[in-house]
Amino acid sequence: MSIAEIFNKYPDRRYIEFGGKGGLGKTTFSAATAYWLAKQGHKVLVFSVDPQASLSDIFQRDIFGKGAVEIMPGLFAQEIDADRHIHDYQEQIRQKIRDMYGMDEIPEEIENYIQAAAAEPAMEESAIFDAVVDIVVGAQYDYYIYDLVPLGHALYYLSMASIYDEWIGKVTSLREEMKEYSQVAAILERKKDSEEDLILGELRYIKQRINTSSSILTDREKTAFFFVVTPEEMIILDTLKAAKLFSKYQVPISGYIVNRVIPPELAGQEIPEYLRRRIEMQTQYLDRIDKTFGAQVLTRVPEFERDVTGLEMIGRVSESLFGGAA
Amino acid sequence: MREEEKKEKLFKRFGRSAKEFLYGLAGHDMTRFALKTRGSMEHLFILITMGDLLGIPILPPYYSLRLLPYVVPQISTWKRRMLREKDLTDALA
Repeated sequence: MSIAEIFNKYPDRRYIEFGGKGGLGKTTFSAATAYWLAKQGHKVLVFSVDPQASLSDIFQRDIFGKGAVEIMPGLFAQEIDADRHIHDYQEQIRQKIRDMYGMDEIPEEIENYIQAAAAEPAMEESAIFDAVVDIVVGAQYDYYIYDLVPLGHALYYLSMASIYDEWIGKVTSLREEMKEYSQVAAILERKKDSEEDLILGELRYIKQRINTSSSILTDREKTAFFFVVTPEEMIILDTLKAAKLFSKYQVPISGYIVNRVIPPELAGQEIPEYLRRRIEMQTQYLDRIDKTFGAQVLTRVPEFERDVTGLEMIGRVSESLFGGAA
Repeated sequence: MREEEKKEKLFKRFGRSAKEFLYGLAGHDMTRFALKTRGSMEHLFILITMGDLLGIPILPPYYSLRLLPYVVPQISTWKRRMLREKDLTDALA
């Protein structure tokens, strides 16, 4: 099956992810897929969850932290500015404290905590995670394309959702138990209602956000996850390991795309020995990829003679990826 | 008429006193216990969400921050309780 066929056969798969080691072409394929879908008349958002995002580079436009920017009709791109997201979030918390207690200034101890929290190493990932929830629950686009972070990080991102979910579950049940005690006290004191637990409401809100995000990533009906591989031994081995780990998190893998294939027809031409050797080696690994991943290998994309940047090159990749078929 | 009104008032007052007496006899202690347990749980809750305030590392505090505004008034009593030295008289309290 080709990628275009997958898109046509499963029109409900509207969350598209490309995963793989760093530098294999995830961003390129994300951009090319967005390009193809936009050309088909869909409204598409490609966004990056990588703090070192490269969508700006591939589209040759500075879009960092500028929200969804329209690159061409129907194609929007967004790079999340985690620092600004954290900064705005901190300010929101401060404002809430000021409003709730009529304070002019935040108590020093509380202010220190707010600042220290922002310096935690996982804060950035959490902020991006949260920003992604905002994007996907907005439901303004036909397709959402995640330009994922390299493998290790992507797994971390997925596991974070399940860890958070467990944590929230425990904290919520403690809070619910507390509510029971409040109710008992209220009944005994013959008060009509116990006070509404605002924290419990907040916890339910957080839980719902986390679940929305992780359920999309692992929903077979709505999500298509593609692995990007190149014909090299280390990459094949790493991808195998990663595929196992991803299936543990129930990520629905739709197929594998082989990138950076040196055109084999070159072998028939007058070429240096060095390049001939590389092509021979590549043929072996391509066979191995076909044997290992079988029918799940969707297509091979050639190594281009120049970098893929700018819409024209993205168009060429898209043609190679989707076969130019409508 | 006035006599009857007086009687009724007296009955009501008696009823109320009896209710309060019974509450004091049976309910008050239970209420106190329920509220005390709830108070302890409140401190436990702050510990597992805001542990960082005492230097106890907890999960990425991103979502803890959302809860912070609600516990602001309790932070100082919570800290005092968590950091207090415990002795034998605690068992009697």
